[in-house]
Formats: sequence, C-alpha cells, structure tokens
Amino acid sequence: MPGMTITEKIIARNSGRKRVVPGELVWVNIHTVMTMDYLGAQTFAKLHELGVENVFDRDRVICVSDHLVPPPNEKFATMLNEWRRIVRAHHITHFYDLGNQGIAHQIMVEKGHVLPGTISIGTDSHANTYGAVGALGNAVGVTDAAVAMATGKCWLRVPESVKLVVHGEWHPYVMAKDLSLYVMGMMHWNGHLIYKAIEYTGEAISQLGMAGRMTLCNMTVDLGAKNGIIAPDAITRRYLRGRTSEKYTALQSDPNAEYEQVYEIDLRQVGPTVARPHRLDDVVPIEEVEGIPFNKAFVGTCTNGRVEDLEIMARILRGKRIHPDVNMLVVPASQAVYLEAMKKGYLATLVEAGAAIDTPSCAACAGIHTGVAGDGDVILSAGNRNMQGRMGSKKAEIYLTSPAVVAASALFGKITDPRKL
Amino acid sequence: MKITGTCWVAQGYVMAYDIITQPFWTAPIDPKENARWVMAGVDEAFNRENGFASQGYSFIVAGHNFAGGGKSIEHVITGLLGAGIKAVFADSFSRLQFRNAINYGLPFITCKDMVKGCQTGDLLEWDTETGLIVNLTNGRTFQSVPVAPFVAEVAEAGGLMNFIRKRIAEGTIDQLR
Repeated sequence: MPGMTITEKIIARNSGRKRVVPGELVWVNIHTVMTMDYLGAQTFAKLHELGVENVFDRDRVICVSDHLVPPPNEKFATMLNEWRRIVRAHHITHFYDLGNQGIAHQIMVEKGHVLPGTISIGTDSHANTYGAVGALGNAVGVTDAAVAMATGKCWLRVPESVKLVVHGEWHPYVMAKDLSLYVMGMMHWNGHLIYKAIEYTGEAISQLGMAGRMTLCNMTVDLGAKNGIIAPDAITRRYLRGRTSEKYTALQSDPNAEYEQVYEIDLRQVGPTVARPHRLDDVVPIEEVEGIPFNKAFVGTCTNGRVEDLEIMARILRGKRIHPDVNMLVVPASQAVYLEAMKKGYLATLVEAGAAIDTPSCAACAGIHTGVAGDGDVILSAGNRNMQGRMGSKKAEIYLTSPAVVAASALFGKITDPRKL
Repeated sequence: MKITGTCWVAQGYVMAYDIITQPFWTAPIDPKENARWVMAGVDEAFNRENGFASQGYSFIVAGHNFAGGGKSIEHVITGLLGAGIKAVFADSFSRLQFRNAINYGLPFITCKDMVKGCQTGDLLEWDTETGLIVNLTNGRTFQSVPVAPFVAEVAEAGGLMNFIRKRIAEGTIDQLR
C-alpha cells in the first residue's frame, strides 16, 4: 500500500480515518477558526442564521482586527465598533484588537494558535500561511467559517499533493519571496497547481527560518493551491516553544507517499525575482527589469512584514538615504514584530534612511487602508498581489518583489539588484 | 433535467476581484443586491447598474482558474445567482470560489475547452444528469465532469446553511465524517 503525504495524514487524523485518498470529501475537526474585522460581522451573522448563539469553543475562535485598524475614516470606525461589540458579546478569549493587533495570519502563527498536525481555517485567503508550522491552513468564506464556529467542523476535499524539492544554498540577498515568485513564473495560473497541496522540502527549506517558511506557504494561495506545507523540524519546535503549551503531533510524509508531480529546484537558478504589473505570473529575473524607475516602495503584509524582512532591509539601508523621489512605507506585521524590530534597532535604521513606519495592519496591500495607490503611481512592493487596482488606483502599476530588492532599489529610485550593492 | 439558456463566454482570465469590485466587498450578502453590480470589473459593458444581470444569460463559459485571485467573499457567488446564472462551465475554478459555489448550490462544472467551442450569446442545453452540454447554436457537444454526491446533496438541501441547520436540529452533527 502506498504511503501518505503530510497533508493526507493531517486530514485522516482530523477526520477519524486511518487513511484518505485524493479526491475524497471528508468532514474534519477544526483546531482554530480565525475571522477578522473586515468579514467578521458577516461571519457572526451567518452563525446566528444557523440558529446558534454560542461558538463551539471560545478559546478556538480567534478574532483579529487587521484590515481596518486604526480606522482611517468614519465607515471603518463604525464597522470596527460593531465588530468589537459582536466579539465581546461572544466572550471570545483571544481577541487581538488595536494595541495588541497584527495581521491575522501573523497572529495565528506567532501566538501559537496553529499547531503541527492540526487544521485551522480563516476568512482571509492567506490562511495558507499556517502550513509553515506543519499545520493545514485553509482560507474559507464566511459560510464555512460560521459552520466551523458552530460545529467545530469543516468539509474538505483531499487534495493531490505536489512536491517541490529545493536544493542548494541561499545567497544572503535571495529570499523565500524570490523562490515563491520563481515558482509562480514556472507554473503560471494554468490550472497546474489549483486545489493541490504544495509541499516544500529539500535542504534549502531545512535551512530556512520560520519567517521564510511563512512567506513560502503564504503565497501558495496565489499559486492557486489548496495549501502549502513544510514538515515540522527542530526549527519549528524551537519556534513553538513558549508560544503554546498544547501537545502536538509532528507529522511527516511517508517515504513512499504518492505525489501527482515532483519538481526539483536548484537555488543557483533563483536570483532576485520580480512580478511585473498586473499579473502575478508575469515573473522575470531582476536583470530584465533593472533600472525601471518607481516612486513608492512598500514593505509589510502577511507575506513580508516580519522581523527577518526588516532586518535585511536595515542591513541594506544602514547609514544611507533612500532616493528623494521615493516614498517608502514599512508596516510591521504585528505589534510583537514592531517591538522586536524596534529593540533591535532596525526601525531606527529605516527611519534614518528616510522610510516611514506605520502601525501594524494590512495597510495598503488590499487597497483599502494606509498608503493606497493613486493615479500614475509605480510601486515596488514586497506584498503578495499586483493585479490592476489591487492597492487602489487602476492607473497605478505594482511590481512585486522581495524586501531586499525593495530596500536596494529605494536607494536609487529604480529597480536594483541587491547583490550588486 | 435539461436547462437551456444563453451563455456569456469569458475572454481571458476572470478574477473574483472583477466579478465583485472592491466598493462592494462589504455589502450585505444578498443575491438581488449583489447582482446589481456583478461582473462590473470584467467588461466595461457591464460596468453599470444591472449591466450583466440585464443580459439574461443562464451560463458562463470560462477558461482556467475562474474567479481566481484569492478573494474569499461570497458576493461573487450570490451576485451570479442573483443575475440568473444557472451554472458556470470552466476548465478549472479557483478553490475558494469553488467552495463558495458548492456552499450556495451554484453548479461550478468542470468542462474542458468549452471556450473554444462557444461564443457569447450561443444557446446551450445542459443535461444535469448526464453532464452533457450541447451548443444548440453550432451543434457542438461537451462532456463535463460529474458532480460529487456531496455537492449534489448540499445543492438539494438549498445550500450548506440549510444542510447544517437540519443536522443541528436533528442532533446529528457529530455523525458528519
């Protein structure tokens, strides 16, 4: 009998089965359900439509304010007030509101709300991030979230697994984001990876810290995948120490597990990588876009707003000034990230270089909060999406890349290879 | 059952972002309401009130990753339902909206290469039992992938909300496996 992949094992374990096969539809038990300020009111409204007053476990429904805080306008302020009223009325144990906030996916991992071998879902697409600790993280709509809040259950189709084996060593200025974009360019949105479980493995992944693993798993949703996952190891255990007191089971794929496809990637072929405006799969090596001028630089989001991202920027920008024609906005992914980056001096370095730091939130990423794009803007962003209008104006252009490329390029006001500094 | 109606055929990649544009992401989830501006970002011709709904299409025919781009909002599905869409036929669907479609009982039917054999305005006949789709305008036929029993069960219940409500009332939630 063939073995099972880590994703299949997690689904089997949480659906009371010994074994599952791709294509099977099963009901699974959910470890945690996340909802946030933007869609949370709709989610709780659906819960009530089910005729249910209380959530299945108030310790396992995680509520986060991230899209709307601090409110930039009256509409958001009123939405937030309603959101807070609803969360309090349900006596939710873990409510991360302004002052204790962060981007929901960062909070879920950082605060130990996702654990190896379990399944967590959230009402925001980048819930795939949870795969970084060897959990199955899935984005769902408000109906699925409400059903899980009421029952602790969710239906899932067991995905086919695709393995990406990454070999080689990381160049200091080549990041997990570059690998994510490289894979995007390799696969395109042609249906190859839709619904699939993407398992990143290989010695280059073993070397990668939790921040990079979160970036990789985070962007699997943008590849169209169901989930992205990295098997837990010593780095995972070290990361989770002090973040959770719950016991967990670190599952691994069997050596004879079946994969629909296995791709081998050599990091020597992955340099700084850029997705050109309007299409995430219009990916090129940095050499093809070097010298293109831009006027806004943005680093933050659930993809690249972590301490390690700010650290590499600080290393590049230390003692230098960014180009006078560039507005740079940096948004730490959570209050904890903000504080750590502050204590380590990274934020001071960035401010001295001419960057503006904003309160942790989703910021301009979805085009609804701080730092949105206007007509004619050309933005170099370390976010996750670049479709027309994503950050605001449809007359803006977004180039997506790594924090290292954003920092190096900001010095010159044009796209610059950080390896050449 | 056979359902007959005209189709709208997508030119290129259709994103959830364009089916429901940003100003409507936080609108109430309501088929009538969401149908008013559905598809507004897909084609300039639909970018007016009831621009798409007033066309009277029953089907959408699309290529890969229909409703992709990674938005979880359910307005995408309720908007299409409110506009009278009976099924979407595509090479593949984004998984988030595929889930939402199942949960609302809107058939998202996987069927290869229909974009190559259909034009906007063609009259299609869909046999929901056999999965056979006939383009009555040009005579071409397409065999779609059958719908999983669970999907049909949810649709029959009138969506996941009803499906779950019934089980909560019966006290049979724990039997879902």
